[in-house]
Amino acid sequence: MTDQADLLAQFSSALAARTEAAKNAIVAIHLPHGRHITGMVWQSDVVVASEQSLPRKDEFELVAPGGSALTAKIAGRDPSTNIVMLRLAAPLASPSIVASEAQAGAIALVIGADGSGGASARLGLVNLAGPEWHSSRGGLIDRRIVLDVGLARREEGGPVFDATGGCLGMSTFGPRGQVIVIPTATIGRIAPQLAKDGRIARGWLGVALQAVAVPDALRESAEQSSGLMVMSVVEGGPAAQAGVLAGDIILSVDGTSTHRFRRIAKLFGSDSIGRKADIRLIRSGSVMSVQTTIAERRAA
Amino acid sequence: MRQAASQLAPAERLRVAVHAADVTRRSALSRVVAEAGHVVVGVEDAADVVLADGGLPPGETRPAVTLGGADRDLSGVLSRDAGANQIDAAIRAVAAGLIVRLPEATEGGFAAIGETDGHALLTPRELEVLGALAEGLTNKAIARRLNISLHTVKFHIESLFRKLGARTRTEAVAKASERRRYETINL
Repeated sequence: MTDQADLLAQFSSALAARTEAAKNAIVAIHLPHGRHITGMVWQSDVVVASEQSLPRKDEFELVAPGGSALTAKIAGRDPSTNIVMLRLAAPLASPSIVASEAQAGAIALVIGADGSGGASARLGLVNLAGPEWHSSRGGLIDRRIVLDVGLARREEGGPVFDATGGCLGMSTFGPRGQVIVIPTATIGRIAPQLAKDGRIARGWLGVALQAVAVPDALRESAEQSSGLMVMSVVEGGPAAQAGVLAGDIILSVDGTSTHRFRRIAKLFGSDSIGRKADIRLIRSGSVMSVQTTIAERRAA
Repeated sequence: MRQAASQLAPAERLRVAVHAADVTRRSALSRVVAEAGHVVVGVEDAADVVLADGGLPPGETRPAVTLGGADRDLSGVLSRDAGANQIDAAIRAVAAGLIVRLPEATEGGFAAIGETDGHALLTPRELEVLGALAEGLTNKAIARRLNISLHTVKFHIESLFRKLGARTRTEAVAKASERRRYETINL
């Protein structure tokens, strides 16, 4: 046997051993029609999974590591970070999750539940490791992590490990079937709030917005080149009460320009609820201001 | 033989149970079902398909089409404002054992807020022109509707093509709707 073959065999055995150990870090969550998705054991009695893929039900049947049946109740959901938390009826062995930082080009071992108490595995690279980002539902995700692996639906929600055995986070589907990771840091930040309140409170105006260019003739009075056009207004929401209309172009909220949405998103954290906000906008060719009170976002 | 022929009959009459909490909604949906040539039956009766406004009643296991239902495991999911054609097509498809989804639902995935570069943002006027393009209006009809000159319409369309990176009107409409899907912000 040459040295090279040895290395490859060692590499392979190491991966198999890691996968075997990882089966204790996952559960299968039963869905109707015999299907399942994967959950990641976060604490001995807490499992996290992909919010977008878990039906709106209060209780689920699980398959624990080793194959025994278990029930769990929803403890909280946060669509903005795609994290759902389930509380187990009986505790499992405590997981040992060591957070690890993603690095582009590093190996990623992606674990899923096979549905009968074991683990399925996929091997790939961290395709992209970028800075923090905002989801289209307004949540802050600590890092942009994209993997170059394919994933079956049943494997979504499992842990992703690096070569040191550190946990990068939870696997989930991004747009167009892309496999992305919700970082361990994000889960660590959201989980305690979900456990306490069952949800993540966020500020809310009740409008759907789309970025538009401010017409040339209005750029001078608007003092900016782009804004957010109101596409629809939720009936009875704070914006509707302030008289905001579809077609208005919002220029700033409390002095923060809507030129870059990321800055605006930061204004709508849980501490914004109940705060008065001045909205500067363009309506039928002139710049005006309305005042409203930020409410709490209704359950999605 | 006769059985095979009836299976191939293009407009099969199906028994459809209509479930809606709101009485007005229920009668409107029942009318749509009846006008599509199906038989409306009670929720407790034997039915080929259940048509539900919003979520399904608990324990319902028959093939179902819901309007605005969120459960990914339902056989058919349409939007709450689905038209009669969509409802009829979905009922037939679900009865035939198929799964019905809206295009945006299959796109899905947990996505980032999209941010188009400043210079590629559309103006409110360009959005109006785009809306008219999506309806299939000619340049002349767009000029009439927006009360602008034909020359100005052409100017806006050229600008739309450039900003969206499109070569045809259809492509412009498709690219703009893609953008809207990923870049709408709910605040």
